[in-house]
Amino acid sequence: MMDDAVSTPHRGFSVVVRPPRPRIRFGLIFLLVLAVAGVIAAKGTGYEYGPAPRVSSLPAPELPKDAGTARKLQSKLATQNQKLEAALNKLSPTGTYVVVDQTQNRLYIMNDDKIVRTAVCSAGSGMILKAAGSSKKWVFDTPRGVFKVRNKISNPIWKKPDWAFVEEGKTIPTNPEDRFESGTLGKYALYLEDGYMIHGTLYTRLLGRSVTHGCIRLGPEDLQAVWDAVPIGSSVFIF
Amino acid sequence: MRGFWVPAAVLMAVASLFAAAPQAPAPTQGELARLTLQNDLLQKQMTLAKAKEFYLLLDTQSQTLTLMFHAALLQQYHVDGLEVGVPRVVFRTRSDASGWEGRIWEKGALDPARALDRVEMQAPPPTKEGTEIEVQVPQTPEEKYPVPARYHIRFDGGLSLEVRPPGTDAKHGFWSKLAAGVSTWWADAKAASGRTSEDAVRLHVVMSKKDAESLYRALPPDTKLLVLPPRS
Repeated sequence: MMDDAVSTPHRGFSVVVRPPRPRIRFGLIFLLVLAVAGVIAAKGTGYEYGPAPRVSSLPAPELPKDAGTARKLQSKLATQNQKLEAALNKLSPTGTYVVVDQTQNRLYIMNDDKIVRTAVCSAGSGMILKAAGSSKKWVFDTPRGVFKVRNKISNPIWKKPDWAFVEEGKTIPTNPEDRFESGTLGKYALYLEDGYMIHGTLYTRLLGRSVTHGCIRLGPEDLQAVWDAVPIGSSVFIF
Repeated sequence: MRGFWVPAAVLMAVASLFAAAPQAPAPTQGELARLTLQNDLLQKQMTLAKAKEFYLLLDTQSQTLTLMFHAALLQQYHVDGLEVGVPRVVFRTRSDASGWEGRIWEKGALDPARALDRVEMQAPPPTKEGTEIEVQVPQTPEEKYPVPARYHIRFDGGLSLEVRPPGTDAKHGFWSKLAAGVSTWWADAKAASGRTSEDAVRLHVVMSKKDAESLYRALPPDTKLLVLPPRS
C-alpha cells in the first residue's frame, strides 16, 4: 500500500506525501479543465467593441435606373432638402437666448449657438413643503422646457405667494398689500411664464447650489449681464 | 406680312437654341443615395425639433454629441472616439451592429439613475411673528450626484450609449479593483446573454472627464437620440 508514498523525515517523525489516486487525479484534472474552459467562456461573453464605421452602414435605398426619372428625383430631393434645412433654421433660435442647466446650476447667455457668458446660478431645490394642519403642499422644482422673457423690471417688488408665509410659519395675510416685499429679488427681474423669474439674490454664498423655490437666482454682475443682453421676447431654455 | 415673319423667326431661333442645349447629366446612384439619406435625416431632425422632448444628436462626422430642444443647441460635448459594441456569448455574436444610425431612439434614461433625493419639510404652525428658519446649505451638484466609473444612457429598443469618464474609477488596491472588474464583467455577461433586446448595440462614447461628468449630471429624463452617420 506504501508503493506510491514518499516518506520525508522531519525532526523525529515522518511526513508521508501521497500522490492522489488515479480516480482523484482524474477528477482534479477534470475540474482544472472545467475551470479553464469556464474562464475562456467568460472571456468570450460580454460585449465585443470595434471602431465605428467610417462610412454609413445604412442600407442603400432603391433608386431609379433610367436617367429621366433619376434627374426628376434628384431635383425633387434637392428642393425638399433645401426647404427642410430652411424650416430647421427657422425653428432654431437666432440672436440671443438663454440656456439654464438646472442640475449643475449654470446659466449660459447664447448668441447663435455660441456661449457668450457662463454664470453660476441657483435653481429649484426640489424640496416639498407641507403646510401645518392641512394637506396642502408645494414642490420647489424649476420646470424644464422653453419659456419666453415676458417682462423685465428693475428694482422689482416681490409679491410673496402663500408658500413664502407658510415656510416662515407666518399667517397668510388677507390684505394683498402685506404680500409686497422689496429688495429680495435683487436689482432686476426677468419674468418668464407661470410666475417663474430670473432674478438676483441676497444669498450670494448659496449660488451654484439648488436652493430656490423654482426661480433662477443670479449674482449681481451676471444679473446685470443678463439684463443688458437679453431683450423681452427672448427664449429661455431650461433643462 | 413682314410684321409676322420677323417675330416668328426670332421665336424659332430661341426655341432651337433651347432644343440644342445639352441636357444635364443624369445623377449617379451615389449622389441620389446621398440626397435620399440627407432627406431622411433632415425629416427626422424636424420631427425631433417639433416634439416636446429633449434630444441628443450624435454626429459621427463632426464628432459631437449635442443636447437639443426645439432645434436649439443647449450643450455640446466633443466626442474623442466612438466604438460599437455587440453582445456575444462564448465568442458567438448575438446581434449585428447595424441599424442604429439614422433612427430615432426614444426614452433615454441614465443607468445608474441620477435620483433626486427630495427633502420634505413640515411647515411650523402659523403665528403672526413667524418662526426663525435655519438656512441649511445644501450639497453642490458634484457632491449630490457623484458620477460612476461607467454609466449608460439606455434607449427603448436596444441601443445604449456607454460612457466611461476617464479617471473616475476611485477603486484602489488589488481586491477592490478585482471586485469592480468582476462586477463589470458580470453586468456585461448578464446583459449580453439576456433574452431581452436591452443593449443589443452599445455605443461607447469616449469623452473628456469634464464632458462625461457634465452629461451625466445634466441629462434630462426621456431624452431621444438620433445618430447622424458619416455623410460621404
